[in-house]
Amino acid sequence: MDKSEGKQLGRRNFMKVAIASIGGVIGAAIGLPAIPYIMGPALQKESDDWIQLGSISKVELNIPTLFKKTIETQTGWIDTEEEISAYVLTSNGQDYVVMSNVCTHLACRVRWIPEQDSFFCPCHNGVFAKDGAVVAGPPPRPLDRFESKVEDGVIFIKRG
Amino acid sequence: MLAKIGDWLDERFSWREVWAAIFERKVPHVNWFYTLGSATLFVAINQAITGILLTLYYVPTPDHAYDSVVYITTQLPFGWLIRGLHHWGASAMVVLTVLHLLRVFYFGAYKYPREATWITGIILLLIVIGFGFTGYLLPWDQKSFWATTVGTQIIGLAPFVGDWMLRIARGGRDISAVTLARFFGTHVWILPATLAALVGIHLYLVIRIGITGVPKKDE
Repeated sequence: MDKSEGKQLGRRNFMKVAIASIGGVIGAAIGLPAIPYIMGPALQKESDDWIQLGSISKVELNIPTLFKKTIETQTGWIDTEEEISAYVLTSNGQDYVVMSNVCTHLACRVRWIPEQDSFFCPCHNGVFAKDGAVVAGPPPRPLDRFESKVEDGVIFIKRG
Repeated sequence: MLAKIGDWLDERFSWREVWAAIFERKVPHVNWFYTLGSATLFVAINQAITGILLTLYYVPTPDHAYDSVVYITTQLPFGWLIRGLHHWGASAMVVLTVLHLLRVFYFGAYKYPREATWITGIILLLIVIGFGFTGYLLPWDQKSFWATTVGTQIIGLAPFVGDWMLRIARGGRDISAVTLARFFGTHVWILPATLAALVGIHLYLVIRIGITGVPKKDE
């Protein structure tokens, strides 16, 4: 009696281990590929091509000037157009700074208000100076800047 | 630690009783044909998991359905695997459900007191076929479009109510964006909800009544 009970316990444990291992293998076969499957689009790198914004002739000294550029992109299975907006600033007509219009607080779009000589974000009243420095409100850091270059009077940026 | 958590939960949920009722119940000495029901359940779980994963990317509109399927299959890491499992699992579902039904039929397991289990099983077979029929349209390629044209046209052959049912199935006279959306909604909401409820009843009955043994010569 004791002997057969011991034997049965052994078989029972063997089955437990076998079921757990096979189940684990099957679970891993679906579960592990599911991780890159879900994360795939998030890990895709954005292209680092130069994007042509336009002619710098319209940029006046010390006044941030808004440039808008529509580029064609592919998101998932849809070919779409995306509008990039950036403020271009120069203090001497030689060196150009290109600032993102995305508020560094929570990514609303900022707007240049000439009367107040500052950028204003309508979402949480963030205020930035003309060079992008934080003047008031919750933004944690100055406006982000694009890498940029000027060739033959045309300004290009690179998205980081 | 794990045992402690188990004890804590058992004190509140009595889950060990439930576990024992499900997995430690007495079963007669049977053969491998009796595993077909479990196999069907296993594939159903595979369909649910891979199906949920597919809905993360699939869109049920005529202008993008096919593109999103191609995106899943060719662009996403392991998208081919997830879709492949769902695709082949669908066929396996139908085959296993029918084999399970045949086993129950030939072993006389549908008789008293298991008639309710049999009836829920038959409805489950119809649901599985419904899954196959609605799922076939979703890739929105030539094959699925024309297969659904033919399939819904057959509904239209029913006497008296045929045309009316055809229009309900298609959501109009022709196969359109409306058809694709309602097939998708049926495939991912109506059928899974019904399936889950009926599988619950089906399994409750199997566990509550117990399974039949292999019939003997004189039975």
